[in-house]
Amino acid sequence: MMAITAIIFHLCITGMLIHTIERIGGSCLILFLQQLINGLSVGSIYALIALGYTMVYGIIKLINFAHGEIMMAGAYIAFLLAVNTNLPFVFVLVIAMVLSAVIGVVVEIIAYRPLRKAPRISVLITAIGVSFFLQNLALVLFKADPKIMPELINKSPITIGPLQVGTVTLTTLFLSIIFMIALDLFVKRTKPGKAMRAVSEDKEASILMGINVNRTISMTFAIGSALGALGGVLYAVMYTQVFPTLGVLPGLKAFVAAVFGGIGLIPGAVLGGFVIGMIETFTKAYLSTQWSDAIVFGLLIIVLLVKPTGILGKNQKEKV
Amino acid sequence: MLKVENIDVYYDKIHAIKDVSFTVKQGEVVTLIGANGAGKTTILKTISKILEPTRGVVLFEGEPLSKLLPHQLVYLGMAHVPEGRRVFAQMTVKENLEMGAYIRKDKSSMKADYDQIFTYFPRLKERMNQPSGTLSGGEQQMLAIGRALMSKPKLLLLDEPSMGLAPLLVKEIFNIVQTIKKQGTTILLVEQNANQALQVADRAYVLETGKIIKSGNAIELLEDDSVKKAYLGG
Repeated sequence: MMAITAIIFHLCITGMLIHTIERIGGSCLILFLQQLINGLSVGSIYALIALGYTMVYGIIKLINFAHGEIMMAGAYIAFLLAVNTNLPFVFVLVIAMVLSAVIGVVVEIIAYRPLRKAPRISVLITAIGVSFFLQNLALVLFKADPKIMPELINKSPITIGPLQVGTVTLTTLFLSIIFMIALDLFVKRTKPGKAMRAVSEDKEASILMGINVNRTISMTFAIGSALGALGGVLYAVMYTQVFPTLGVLPGLKAFVAAVFGGIGLIPGAVLGGFVIGMIETFTKAYLSTQWSDAIVFGLLIIVLLVKPTGILGKNQKEKV
Repeated sequence: MLKVENIDVYYDKIHAIKDVSFTVKQGEVVTLIGANGAGKTTILKTISKILEPTRGVVLFEGEPLSKLLPHQLVYLGMAHVPEGRRVFAQMTVKENLEMGAYIRKDKSSMKADYDQIFTYFPRLKERMNQPSGTLSGGEQQMLAIGRALMSKPKLLLLDEPSMGLAPLLVKEIFNIVQTIKKQGTTILLVEQNANQALQVADRAYVLETGKIIKSGNAIELLEDDSVKKAYLGG
């Protein structure tokens, strides 16, 4: 039995090699470029969601496990708007982001704020609870069967030379990058953005500056949730479905991305998101569709073994 | 300007501050001196509402602070330079100063205040775009003071500005304290370095295990035998 498996495995590898060698040439390059764009696009969605994880972690040291569900909420809101109204995509997106931001802030105020001085593990468990609650709420409201996401973006592919790239893919990449740049400018250039960084570093000192820490934390949840919702809508459009557990797997992968890049660091989340998206896309294209998730999570284990603080993370002692 | 009346502060069951009362008048430099663990920082944190007293009140310009939230005190004109400087290490020197001016909206007159702080501490200007975590301890202390001054406080609370600094820097910091005083800012200074503190202060309170055991004019306390023995090394 073992021998047979080994032989089959061997044949597969050889086959793949030959296949690869055959394709060294034009078509191979085109496939590679196409996958590269797909990878960037998927990665940008992970990056958007990872930003929410990392910003919330940065400011209150909480892994917000309900973040994937906020993303799911965003997707459902967009779905409902798309089915029931004739609003153009931009409005659907904006409304979904705003409402999800509200949901995120409400969750923070009701579930997390009362536990501000509680041990971190209590808040973590609460986050898991909120995640289950929102998932089941969606199950009750929308039933378990996946709904087809209407075509919010014109699906006809764009041809660039020999390349054919989906409009969805390009829109996703474009929107994600715009919002990441906007976030970067917000955090680096504006007063509330700087206050956010100050609160992440030292809450007590921030209070002494006159910064309203609670409001800053709420703002962080709002921004993180809006970006998560953006990711959710784009994800649902890309995979054309919405269902109550929509946020689980991309949420988990985005979390991996955030840890991978160095949790708490905004550039880390972006880098991690793109890396995870690329690895996933390329393993799917060149190795195996079934193994891609295992490879992504395996990679996380390796990164954590080699550099526990993530790629961009600095080794610093946790302040008490 | 500041009136602390019969405050008691507990850390869980530890009675850290016992029935402490004192006042700081407009334009004064008042210092609280005492050994490590006497409760000096606890008192400052209580004034800033980082800690809540179980009993007693703190009045600022006649108004009790009990109803306010901690971050609102800056708006009243109180600024606190915390123990251990607590600069935002990953933010630049400039950004730290901007955070100090967080409550201010008068952008035009802020420029003059930046310049003022850079004349106090020229070294901060050289390092303006450097992350403040890369500054030396003395520079960080200067930044912490500069940051607090950016809110244009009427009352400045200074917690151990000399901690861990070389003697030359300690002198520089205390010179600045005197300059700030001359500009009309009232100062409440908490210090372990009693000698230096008493030299810049008008009045002083001596704190021992959470109680005020002595108070008076700074010059008198400098000459006081028991103070000399306990805090001035002779």
